Amino acid sequence: MTHIQLEAIHKSYGQTQVLNDCTLEIARGEVMTLLGPSGCGKTTLLRTLAGFVRQDHGRVVVGGAEISHLAPNRRSVGYVFQNYALFPHLSVAENVAYGLKVRRRPAGEIRERVAKALHLVALDGLGARFPAQLSGGQQQRVAIARVLVLEPEVLLLDEPFNALDAKLRLTMQVELRKLIDRVGITSIFVTHDQSEAMMLSDKVAVMRAGRIEQVAAPLAIYDRPVNDYVASFIGRANVLSVEVRGGVVASAPEVVANRADGPARLIVRPENLAIAGADACWSGRILFASAQGPSIEYEVEAGLPEPLRLVVPRQAGEAALPAGAAVGVRIVDPGACIVIGGGSGV
Amino acid sequence: MTNGSGPGPAPSTHWVDAVGAAVFALVAGFALLLLVAPSLIVIAVSFEPRAYISFPPSGFSLKWYWAVFENRQLTDSVQVSLMVALWVSLLCMALGVPAAFASIRGTFPAKAGLNAFLLAPQMMPGMVIGIATLFFGAYIAFRASNTMLVLALSVFCLPFVIRITMARLADLDPRLDEASANLGAGKLETFVRVTLPQLGPALLAAGAFTFIEAFDNVTVALFTSDVRGRPLPVELYYLVQNDSTPAIAAVSAIEIGLSCLVMLVLGRTVGLERLGGPATKT
Ligand SMILES: Nc1ncnc2c1ncn2[C@@H]1O[C@H](COP(=O)(O)OP(=O)(O)O)[C@@H](O)[C@H]1O
Ligand SMILES: [Mg+2]
Repeated sequence: MTHIQLEAIHKSYGQTQVLNDCTLEIARGEVMTLLGPSGCGKTTLLRTLAGFVRQDHGRVVVGGAEISHLAPNRRSVGYVFQNYALFPHLSVAENVAYGLKVRRRPAGEIRERVAKALHLVALDGLGARFPAQLSGGQQQRVAIARVLVLEPEVLLLDEPFNALDAKLRLTMQVELRKLIDRVGITSIFVTHDQSEAMMLSDKVAVMRAGRIEQVAAPLAIYDRPVNDYVASFIGRANVLSVEVRGGVVASAPEVVANRADGPARLIVRPENLAIAGADACWSGRILFASAQGPSIEYEVEAGLPEPLRLVVPRQAGEAALPAGAAVGVRIVDPGACIVIGGGSGV
Repeated sequence: MTNGSGPGPAPSTHWVDAVGAAVFALVAGFALLLLVAPSLIVIAVSFEPRAYISFPPSGFSLKWYWAVFENRQLTDSVQVSLMVALWVSLLCMALGVPAAFASIRGTFPAKAGLNAFLLAPQMMPGMVIGIATLFFGAYIAFRASNTMLVLALSVFCLPFVIRITMARLADLDPRLDEASANLGAGKLETFVRVTLPQLGPALLAAGAFTFIEAFDNVTVALFTSDVRGRPLPVELYYLVQNDSTPAIAAVSAIEIGLSCLVMLVLGRTVGLERLGGPATKT
């Protein structure tokens, strides 16, 4: 069941168009991630949902009711800020109690619900501390507790793991996903980190320069990217300029292309290429090799504008081929290759 | 005393460093003396038992303090000054705080121009403001009075309040306001619960500085104050011209004492570094 609908949202600041026809549907209880490089408009789209930004055109619908005209404080949308924006002059408990106080709840109820919310994010006993006395991970949990205590319909998180160091980040990602599943709240994340998007979300919306390029489940995006931009943003990809002739790719005839003859692009994931002998599509020299343990990464100079990238599984005791070695490269699974029109921009 | 680490140029400290430190201490001490000595001398003079100013005082007596409290002219002028300072502070806070908000948070054309305009009086000598107000008043048949003094001093002091408030406001994270709205608070409630508590110390400092400046100002007051109900600084100014008794030193000593008290209280409650920092003139 659709819970949140963003319909054709446009937003410009002066001459710069920041959001361009953004349309997105999110089902109840689903976790959606907005993924894209810095400056592509992710935060602005999230702020439109929270009401901090008023769109120029388009509608924001939550639970079937349009909320575009509502002020931020009239929307039941919890927002976790990138820097958490905790009130520095209030203790942790007072931060969490803030929304309840604003709603004029009785003191007993506030105490009870604050304790419950702090327990939910495993911060029992830290209620008397001030934000400055907390670690980054704890601050993040306070920010989450502060909005969850109000039982909002929707949870929005703007790059919530950015301020955390790499090790803590992984733990918090897992914890947060578990928490969201427990509470069962419809959530939208913003991130520019594709592995975070893959790990956290039911669906990913890949954005570029104010547009939403593709919305799908993470693996579906990985396997079936709609264009080379999405392909390179989610995981790594070799994007090759090729010719389609007679329904197949000319330089790799085992790849079937359901399109008219002419120039096209072939997208092949690095793990879908292998070192080969006679049956090779391409031949060249190894530029660079690095053995990673379970796999070996190669870059092969094959007379193409970019070197081919390969990730091949490694057997115990196997060493990487030396740089400079002449090799052939073949496609492992032609069905997993994608052929798209040559015209699409890079 | 152990060997090797005795006085004199220890091998580890270069002699240039030692000389540098000595010069620094000397200059610092001299500056401190220059700043504090006049106040100390004035306080000492106020205890002089005889009827004329001399330093060092020939004895110790509190009679000039009594004389101050029995001098109707002086006590009246203290009252005038207190009233003037109070009104100026209120007026400056009422005008300056919203102006600071507009110039930090507002988005409107010509913001930079307005900022420059609001802060301009700080660049102007008080005397110029005093004379200008007097002349302009004459033009519209508004005579020198304590109302005029309050108005002129408010123009003079407004940049203080604006600057102190602006400095603190610029430090505040506007995301906090958004967080507050996101948690359900309206604009007024956000101001009361989030902005004001964080602004509080700065506002207190702005109020205190304005009050002290308005209480103590001579340059503006000389031209605009009422001829009969003079404020204290002007009264003192005329007093020293006619006869110089240690009573003037006693008044000064009382003022010094009160200023120290205010600074002490503010320092304890707010923290001096928060008063000083961004508030100091450029
Ligand atoms: N208030 C604003 N005024 C002008 N430009 C803005 C404003 N907010 C965002 N932008 C611009 O919009 C673009 C998208 O910003 P943002 O949504 O923050 O990107 P992201 O979160 O994806 O990094 C950026 O180029 C940014 O400079
Ligand atoms: Mg952002």
